[in-house]
Amino acid sequence: MQTALKLEGIGKRYGDFQAVRDLSFEVAQGRICGFLGPNGAGKTSTIRMILGLVAPSEGRIDVLGAPDGRAVRSRIGFLPEERGLYRRMTPVEAIGFLAGLKGLSTGEARRRARTLLEAHGLGHAMNRQIRSLSKGMAQKVQLLSALAHEPELVILDEPFSGLDPVNQQELEGIIRALAARGATVLFSTHVMQHAERLCEQVVLLSGGRKVFDGAVEQARAAAPRRLVLEGAISPEAASALPGLVDVVCAPLAAGGVQVTGVLAPGAPAQAVLRAAFEQGLDITRFELKEPQLHDAFIVLTGQEIAA
Amino acid sequence: MSRLMRIAVREYVAYVRTVGFWLSICLMPMGLVAALWAPGLIARQTPPASLAIVDLTGKGLAARLTPSLSARQPGSDGTQAIRLVPSPVPAGTDVAGVVAALRPYVAGQRLLPDGRTLDAAAVLHGEDAGERVAIDVWTRNPANSAIQARLSEAMADVLRRERLEKAGLDPAALSAIERLTPDVAAFSPSAAGGRVELRDQLPGFIGLGMGILLWMVVLTGAGMLLNSVIEEKTSRILDVLLTSASVPEVMAGKILGVAAVAATVLGVWLSIGAALLAATQPQVAGDLVAALLHRGLVFYFAFYFVLGYLMYATLFITIGAFCETTREAQTMLGPMMILLSVPMVFLTQSLAHPDAPLLQILSWVPPLTPFLMAARAASGPPLWQVAGTGALLVAVTGLEMLVAGRAFRAGALSSSRFDPKLFFASLIGRATI
Repeated sequence: MQTALKLEGIGKRYGDFQAVRDLSFEVAQGRICGFLGPNGAGKTSTIRMILGLVAPSEGRIDVLGAPDGRAVRSRIGFLPEERGLYRRMTPVEAIGFLAGLKGLSTGEARRRARTLLEAHGLGHAMNRQIRSLSKGMAQKVQLLSALAHEPELVILDEPFSGLDPVNQQELEGIIRALAARGATVLFSTHVMQHAERLCEQVVLLSGGRKVFDGAVEQARAAAPRRLVLEGAISPEAASALPGLVDVVCAPLAAGGVQVTGVLAPGAPAQAVLRAAFEQGLDITRFELKEPQLHDAFIVLTGQEIAA
Repeated sequence: MSRLMRIAVREYVAYVRTVGFWLSICLMPMGLVAALWAPGLIARQTPPASLAIVDLTGKGLAARLTPSLSARQPGSDGTQAIRLVPSPVPAGTDVAGVVAALRPYVAGQRLLPDGRTLDAAAVLHGEDAGERVAIDVWTRNPANSAIQARLSEAMADVLRRERLEKAGLDPAALSAIERLTPDVAAFSPSAAGGRVELRDQLPGFIGLGMGILLWMVVLTGAGMLLNSVIEEKTSRILDVLLTSASVPEVMAGKILGVAAVAATVLGVWLSIGAALLAATQPQVAGDLVAALLHRGLVFYFAFYFVLGYLMYATLFITIGAFCETTREAQTMLGPMMILLSVPMVFLTQSLAHPDAPLLQILSWVPPLTPFLMAARAASGPPLWQVAGTGALLVAVTGLEMLVAGRAFRAGALSSSRFDPKLFFASLIGRATI
């Protein structure tokens, strides 16, 4: 599979502040890659370097075969974190203008603008000034303006922020559709759930450094699995169960105790359940909790991420 | 359509859609018409000022003043006409007494016998036994000194004539002498027919006009460019633009778009002016066209105009990229306005003294070159000066655009308030963004 984006040892300094350090990763063509990390992790700085808006202090970038986004700007679609459009333009004009800058003829750009707006439920608003649209509608217009020229590489900086759940779901559909037609999508977010649902690859950033690069399942594997048991269980008996560590017991309002523990690496959950029955414990509920990307992030970075 | 042109067209359309654009187009010609017609209209519609003259000199001067004071018609020069009225108070010998009696009339507390008010009163009295005459003018409107000036002028005529008559000159001969004026004609080797006509003076006026026009375009364009860049920067549209087009394309597109807006407004104004001139003064209109085409003067003006606009527009768009708010931009505009007022100081001087050494030297200062060289066109500056200042202007503008490109990128991508350190670092390519 061809590589759409490749970063090798990228770093960015702003005076004495090192925003990004020694960052390397690559994204194959047609992949959806989540670029994850808390605020200030260096995601936007990296995206700006990829686009050629700012120059890296060190390292090498390869974007669709070019050293930065400037040389292939008509093949890239970009949605910035801070949204903004010409408020007095209509959606058709705004999308048409930006698609025109990406190389489409005026007629074709406007035709695509109308088609996209109709397809995404904004047909009724296509000739209204953007200042009269709701924030969600305006955000959707901006997203469509980044996609109208059918780019090979789509870079979305925090695309889900500010969208209601319905529009978030629609955006997920759009991103999947982009990948389905062969486009490579790199999107930054600090909300792990979107990445979990969408991404084949995630790159986790913390403090300007890469802490993980790989598939979502691999990232999850870095976090421990948890086991929840409920019933008439004494703390001593719970702690004695094989393969279960960091056991925490909490009384339940309806009577009994909830035991939460971390499964030791390689320990099967069934073995714990079997041991519990063998010890004659009265188990009313048993649940294996697979780790989420959020858990993996905490393990990998040692810090909590803002929801 | 190229990216540059798309940006220019968007910029142009954005301004053309505003109410302010259409107001600019309509209000200027209306304002011009008002400025030309208003003074005369006001003077014609203002009733004549009633003036009573009390003559205490005993020489009958008041009667001799009457023809001169009544002669001038109102409106021609915007001055108010005078209507002489009989004095409502008898002439005595005591100035203070007369004044005390006149004051209620001038103050509007008492009316004239015909029921109207008295606007002014003049008390003529001799300061001594000699020929000196004093005029005390009492007026309701202290700001209006026109009556005082008219009285002074008329009285000076009367006294001069009286003295000359006493010296034995015949009044008829005196009138004939006063009518004597020489027929002065100006000739110049540079005038087409030897004799200096209006068409020979037109290049000077056109040059001055071009200088003022450039000044207006720069002023108008400065505000538009600053606001446009700030709007795009604060809404982060500039980020999207810079991922879609190069810095030179964005800058040039915006400069071209704003230039087209200014050209449209000025084009409409000039077309209206040209149409009015052609309709009322076809000869002058013809001379104007001939003057512009003579020796390629139109290209001379166009060269300095375009480069002057580019130089200032580049400066303003770059400053705009470093500002986060319109308030910041306005504080930056202050020093720029001072810089822009300098050419205006010298512009008018260059019409009267186009070859003054100081103006020749200042013509080599690039920010002043477009204004002064345009205004000096009438004198036909030496070719080496035209070529030299032109080459310097091209070089400086080119260098400015090169440096401004770097600075614009740094400013556009920064998200802080105007930082002089970042600004100057960006000019030498050392800004970290």
